[in-house]
Amino acid sequence: MKKKLDFKNFSIYFDQYLFIAITLLSVMGLFFLYSASQEDISTVAKQAIFVGFGLLLMFVVSQPDPDFYNTFSGLFLIFSLVLIFLTMIFGKEINGAKRWLDLGFFTLQSSEIIKISLPIFLSSYLYNKPLPISTRHTFITLILIGFIFALVARQPDLGTSLVVFMSGGYVLFLAGLSWRFIGSAIALFLLSLPFLWNNFLEPFQQQRVLTYLNPDADPYGTAWNITQSKIAIGSGGINGKGYQEGSQAHLDFLPETETDFIFAVIAEEFGFIGVCILLSVFFFILLRCLYLAFNARDRFCRLTIGGLSLVFASTLFINLAMVIGVVPVVGMPLPFISKGGSSLLSFYIAFGIIISMATHKKLMQR
Amino acid sequence: MIDLNERFIEKRSFFNRLLLIYFFFGALFLFLLFKTYSLQVSSYSDYELAALKNKTKEVLVQPVRGVIYDRNGNILVNNVPTYDLIIQPSKIKNLDDFIINISKIIELSDSEIENINKNFKRRATYNRELTIKKDLSKEEIAKFEVRSYQFKNAFIDVRYSRENKYPYLFSHALGYVGGVSNDKVLSILKNQDLKQSETTFKYSGGFIAGKTGLENIYDSALRGSFGKKLFEVDATGRLLKELSFEKPINGKSLFTHLDLNSQKKAFEQMNNRRGAVVALELKSGSIVTYLSTPSFNVNGLSNGMSSVEFEKLINDVDKPFFDRAGQGRYSPASTIKPAIALFGIKEKIVDWNFTLKDPGFFVLPEDQRIYRGWKKGGHGTIDMKGAIIESSNTFFFSLAYKADINNLISHLSEFGFGRNVCKDCFNPDSGLLPTPEWKMNNLNFGWFKGDTVNLGVGQGYMSATPVQLAYYSAFLAKKGNLQELSFVESDSISNTAFINNLSIDNSDWDQIHSSMIGVIEDPRGTAKRLKPLKSYVVAAKSGTVELVSTETKEDYKLVRQNIGNRDHAIIVAFGPMPDPEYAVSVVIENGESGGSVAGPVAIAVLNELINK
Repeated sequence: MKKKLDFKNFSIYFDQYLFIAITLLSVMGLFFLYSASQEDISTVAKQAIFVGFGLLLMFVVSQPDPDFYNTFSGLFLIFSLVLIFLTMIFGKEINGAKRWLDLGFFTLQSSEIIKISLPIFLSSYLYNKPLPISTRHTFITLILIGFIFALVARQPDLGTSLVVFMSGGYVLFLAGLSWRFIGSAIALFLLSLPFLWNNFLEPFQQQRVLTYLNPDADPYGTAWNITQSKIAIGSGGINGKGYQEGSQAHLDFLPETETDFIFAVIAEEFGFIGVCILLSVFFFILLRCLYLAFNARDRFCRLTIGGLSLVFASTLFINLAMVIGVVPVVGMPLPFISKGGSSLLSFYIAFGIIISMATHKKLMQR
Repeated sequence: MIDLNERFIEKRSFFNRLLLIYFFFGALFLFLLFKTYSLQVSSYSDYELAALKNKTKEVLVQPVRGVIYDRNGNILVNNVPTYDLIIQPSKIKNLDDFIINISKIIELSDSEIENINKNFKRRATYNRELTIKKDLSKEEIAKFEVRSYQFKNAFIDVRYSRENKYPYLFSHALGYVGGVSNDKVLSILKNQDLKQSETTFKYSGGFIAGKTGLENIYDSALRGSFGKKLFEVDATGRLLKELSFEKPINGKSLFTHLDLNSQKKAFEQMNNRRGAVVALELKSGSIVTYLSTPSFNVNGLSNGMSSVEFEKLINDVDKPFFDRAGQGRYSPASTIKPAIALFGIKEKIVDWNFTLKDPGFFVLPEDQRIYRGWKKGGHGTIDMKGAIIESSNTFFFSLAYKADINNLISHLSEFGFGRNVCKDCFNPDSGLLPTPEWKMNNLNFGWFKGDTVNLGVGQGYMSATPVQLAYYSAFLAKKGNLQELSFVESDSISNTAFINNLSIDNSDWDQIHSSMIGVIEDPRGTAKRLKPLKSYVVAAKSGTVELVSTETKEDYKLVRQNIGNRDHAIIVAFGPMPDPEYAVSVVIENGESGGSVAGPVAIAVLNELINK
């Protein structure tokens, strides 16, 4: 349900379902993070500030009319690209990856911004193109997606670059990409897999994929993370071991408990019941997004809501599949739960824009 | 711009495509939920176990070995504590300050400080203890204990070393302990259903086990059972807290029949000559004296000796490591004669009234070969008793000549020859009781009649260990009623009389006893010099083992210039008669005379055992 509160000339745009669900997830996230960080109150406090700021940001971002985003989408994209270039030049290198831009008060992961600005830009670019999307527009779109994908992949950041690629791809697909094109693209992709493997994957990324395909080959190497994650989840059982009682998480067997593997901590401490409760909140958000997309006022809004909500869904499912051991380990947070600044804020922004797209109505529809 | 119709088509296309992706995600969602379900519910027990294994670590705790006693309750082998200063590195924040403070009380050498600095960080990381000074003096212990409140993270703990209180006396009998191979460690732990893991050692030598002697034979009883502590650990292997402690069960004490005093006496009497002394208590058939000389310091082997010392021992021409008592092979020589005599009686080849004229040699009818006795001109007309007392070779040559070799061998086997007679000796040798098959297989020659004749005086291929000779002596003393020997009273009660396959009349045994008494008591006896050395009656039979066969005394004088060619001296004895309590065998390599060289040692040991 969309609400439009009138205070004389002043309106507030707000979707209480998404707001409550996201706030609930964020608070649960803080609660989980306290245990996952080995009861480190400063980590939780920092995250709480992000959550508070993020909710505020979501609210602020949902106020402008979709036309505002439509008009300035090119500017947003250029701004995002500038950040990526700045990262390439001034970025902070951690573990061989150059993904972060140190702003003094905040370390920005610039690729997190572009996964929002790219789908908005593409929605803006494609919303008025006749169906099916012509070959020319398809190629222009694909070149842009490919270019940005390559930029992010070079950092290197396989996980985020895949999400960026998907974010563009979803919009293109939803906007009406011809089925014939999709068919030939899939065929082409399968054929070029070996080439991509050799030229685009860093050795450690290749290793991760190989490890995934044959985890027994190195129990204490790269497969260690997956193995320990599975043990954590499996040993949680139905009821879980209890809050702060997860031995896998608290005795350091589990890697990255605060970020990528926080789901394993939750599964260990709260069991299958906890997992079901958590996932139902996520599921609710996705269903709400579907509803909002169907009821959006125009094609631009539809495409934006669809694109952004699918970015959210992809991040969620890649993270879950990774932690459960179904796909190779790629850096991917659990939205609204994992510790992190940029990725967390980017989702608040994304949902702010979704709410904006969903709540602003035009009396006279085109 | 798109028109209304197109807008409608676009909207439908969008919905269809979004729904398509949502269905895909929905399927993925269910799949992931199913995978989670299978991890958490279907395979729960596997993963629960894996998590448990992850977070716990078993640390074994070594038991303390049992103490070994002699038959009078004297401690022979003990665990001697040393006091070590130990710290808990994970709890010490400033190591330099700590070293400065502790050095004010207990002096640390440069190498000790270097050792601390080298290991501190690692031990702190994994929360392990670190020994900073070994073997504190009493003064140091007292100084530390008074100020221990200043050092909450340091403590004194006991580490043991295995110490034989009489390091030269029981080197071969009790043996030594030492570090063992990894395979052995695994098999020892496997017996206890344990896996090899980190161990808290009670001994400074770490994982020790008996290598030789009784330490080896009774290793598992002496060792005890390992305890285990279960710790919670984190992923790096750091010990976090103790979850449970199953205490080790210390080894059982070993109560042996060994007699410290007789062992001391034997050692003193042997005076480092090469040889062996074995004495048995007849009632129980137990070993009370077990000595091989020259000996070595067994504690050096148990607790580490320098490689120079070790090389010296290994290369010593007298072979101190060699256990002559249990493994030395010697011809029984004339000591065999009582057994041959009993064979003659049993087979009715001779009786006690049979006499023979001894010209000093025996001529083998087959090839006219001459077998000489020790006395030129012979012993004259002699009966069997006399032949034992005077040790007439001719008498026993001719007796053996009439023997069937297979019957003779099975007869001698009853007396303990050619077989192991000890239940708990370490690596006992069985000596050699030669048979025609053995000769054919090993020497590629058929059995000659002359071989049988030689067997009649215990020369030739036959050999026996001092333990077998002692058994033989005891067998004679107990008239054939003797079980296997043992150092330790066995748990299983087997006091049933031993039944041998000999059918020898008691009167014949008595005759043998009186003949052997004559060896010492009779003026003609070969060991008559022993008579004044004691205050009771002893039965004995001496022997002289020829190493080089000589025709005349003059020839032997040449031969004996090389000490290694001199005859071995042997004696078997038992007493006091007529109700013997102890039997003894003594071998002295190159000692030349059984009666006058080995004899006094045997009598001294018997005196020690009997005159109490």
